Amino acid sequence: MQVFIEKVDSKEEEQAVIKAVEITDEISGAVELLEGDSKSFAVSKDGKVYIIKASVVYYIESIDKKTFVYTKQGCYDCKYRLYELEVMLGGYFMRCSKSMIINLKKIKNVKSQISGRVDATMLNDEIVVISRGYVKEVKRRLGIG
Amino acid sequence: MNRFKLWLEQTMMISFAIYVGIIIEGLVYAMMGDPLTSFNLTWLQLVSVILTGALCSLPTIFWLADTDIPKNKFIVRIILHCIGLYAIVCLFGYIFKWYVKLDGFIMMTIIYFLVYVFVCVVTLWFHKRDDNKINKALDDIRDEE
Repeated sequence: MQVFIEKVDSKEEEQAVIKAVEITDEISGAVELLEGDSKSFAVSKDGKVYIIKASVVYYIESIDKKTFVYTKQGCYDCKYRLYELEVMLGGYFMRCSKSMIINLKKIKNVKSQISGRVDATMLNDEIVVISRGYVKEVKRRLGIG
Repeated sequence: MNRFKLWLEQTMMISFAIYVGIIIEGLVYAMMGDPLTSFNLTWLQLVSVILTGALCSLPTIFWLADTDIPKNKFIVRIILHCIGLYAIVCLFGYIFKWYVKLDGFIMMTIIYFLVYVFVCVVTLWFHKRDDNKINKALDDIRDEE
């Protein structure tokens, strides 16, 4: 497939047009990847509902069947289940353990521990554990697997 | 599937390390003046090495891989793991006649610990290599804050 890139002056003008005979897995993946940052969803905190952009999310955790969304500004409740958010956000959002989704764009660095688990230091210096079983998928999403 | 792959990898790594250990043992005996023809292996002993590798990989996969326990507990687990595998190797050594006299048993013990250290070092090196690849790829996609 030919790819054309045209420079524009502002973020608002940014857009991607894909012309294809059929929607293949690769194209769906590309769409997910491109849409990732612009997706928004509802969260709540102290009884107030907020709409947040996916791009501000660091990671999402499920505790006792409740879903919590962590951003630089703090932690929010979310009505969606983890598997729903995983499908909804796609792109650089991926499962890093049974109860967590991580935003790969917010990872400062990763370091393997002697036990085999991988510690991901987020941009806010929090540490999120990536289970060894998910490392292959991390590499695949980053295009190095 | 991941565990099966890990089991195969570990089996190959351990078997290879034991074969290297056997070669070193042969060289040591040769340097001590034994004729080269006095050191030979039967096909059953060669198969027994692979069987040992396969059996020793199982506790690693189910007990050590991808654990989320504190470092001190993990170190205790490593020590128990090392002793447990040593027991398996001694048992297999007895069944398949890897040693007959005390000097053979001592040599097998030395080889065992060298193989254990070798496998640990190689595993850590693989993890480190993964870390470097992932960190490099993360540099390209990381959000600026």
